[in-house]
Amino acid sequence: MKKITYALTITLFICTAPTLVLAHAMLDHASPRVGSTVNSAPKEIVLWFTQKLEPAFSTIEVRNEQGAAVQAGKATVIGDRTQLRVALEALPPGIYKVIWQVLSVDTHRTRGDFTFRVGP
Amino acid sequence: MFEKSWPLGMLAAGLAATATTTQAHEIVGNRFFPATLAIDDPGVNDELAFPTIAVSKTGDDPSFKQVDVSGEFSKRITEDFGISVGPTWSRLYAPGGPTMNGAQGFQNLETTFKYRLFKNAEHELIVSAGLSIEWGGSCAQDVGAERFTVYTPTLYFGKGLGDLPPSLNWARPFAITGQVGYAIPGVAQTTTASIDPDTGEQDIDMEFHPRVLNWGGTIQYSMPYLKSAVVDLGLPDFVNRLIPIVEAAMQTPVSNTATSGTVTTGTINPGIIYVGNTYQIAVEAMIPVNRQSGTSVGIIGQLHFFLDDIFPNSIGRPIFANNINTGRPTYGR
Repeated sequence: MKKITYALTITLFICTAPTLVLAHAMLDHASPRVGSTVNSAPKEIVLWFTQKLEPAFSTIEVRNEQGAAVQAGKATVIGDRTQLRVALEALPPGIYKVIWQVLSVDTHRTRGDFTFRVGP
Repeated sequence: MFEKSWPLGMLAAGLAATATTTQAHEIVGNRFFPATLAIDDPGVNDELAFPTIAVSKTGDDPSFKQVDVSGEFSKRITEDFGISVGPTWSRLYAPGGPTMNGAQGFQNLETTFKYRLFKNAEHELIVSAGLSIEWGGSCAQDVGAERFTVYTPTLYFGKGLGDLPPSLNWARPFAITGQVGYAIPGVAQTTTASIDPDTGEQDIDMEFHPRVLNWGGTIQYSMPYLKSAVVDLGLPDFVNRLIPIVEAAMQTPVSNTATSGTVTTGTINPGIIYVGNTYQIAVEAMIPVNRQSGTSVGIIGQLHFFLDDIFPNSIGRPIFANNINTGRPTYGR
């Protein structure tokens, strides 16, 4: 019985570990939303990640349909260090691709991309 | 009749134990490849799968219930090379076992060496090669553990469909993985001599150990991928962490098949995986593809821990790692 109790305790500890430990930084959600259509051009992109980020190794690139970069300046880590933000140039209607690369504070690298549309 | 089919039953038990051995997870670009249950996936990582519990009815005649409880610890030596070790404990209910009264014990210990050959983030493609060794005579023969060692060189691959054109956005969360291995027994045949109790004459029983093609694949639909890379539908967090999956794991004897036959055995496993930040939970049904593979639908479940995420600065990193200088101390995080 003691062994079962120990095993259950360890299992419960590890299963609740997401709140206690570090992990790969994965994209949780974004503004504008992944795959969304917005009527008015956003002035910035904000990405929320599942872990804290290393600012020096975390970037956002935003490209228009011709492949030209439309972000204004470098991405900055904000909030509780789980958010990454970059300002945008004035965006005409079209489809935009957001490409992110981040390094979590436990030195795991992750990358990803998604699109959003500006216009009716 | 049963006694004649027992060696085949032991082969099936051994194959079943091999088939339930597990697995690594992997991140390739946008894609998270989860650890899979029926076949190994292409990932190389630090992780612990424990427990994996499988309940099935074997394809023996007569059939019997079998319960396997297994675990596997995987450790990266370098970023691309890892070793995993996995014991399996089996219980065969009556009329299983050599005396038909059931049996229990550990299967032979299995060790897998795996090397990541290729990884392409843009196309969500990964290819790995490995060698699995089932150490002969390391455990209980009553549950099918052979006295000889089996070597299985294996090729693994994974491909996400995230590079499909935008017109096929709905299909981009799909991914496939697969493996092809060739199991080579360390000895070609076993000869057993016994005295017939009725006639007093000596019986010679010769069993040939076949070389077996272990092949299989998975098709999976990633809700995490849908949310983070295609379209965020605003679904509940629980749903956004699910990966519905169908796995297939097959074994085909291809040579030295005089006593084993050449019938392909295996299962099709529909199931679902829940992915947490540092662990995953999976459950699948095991549907036998024919009578020789089992007599009813079984079930398999697994709890799997991502040690690279739980212990990123100790046992969760490669022994020989490429350190990234973040300019900050590594303590106190």
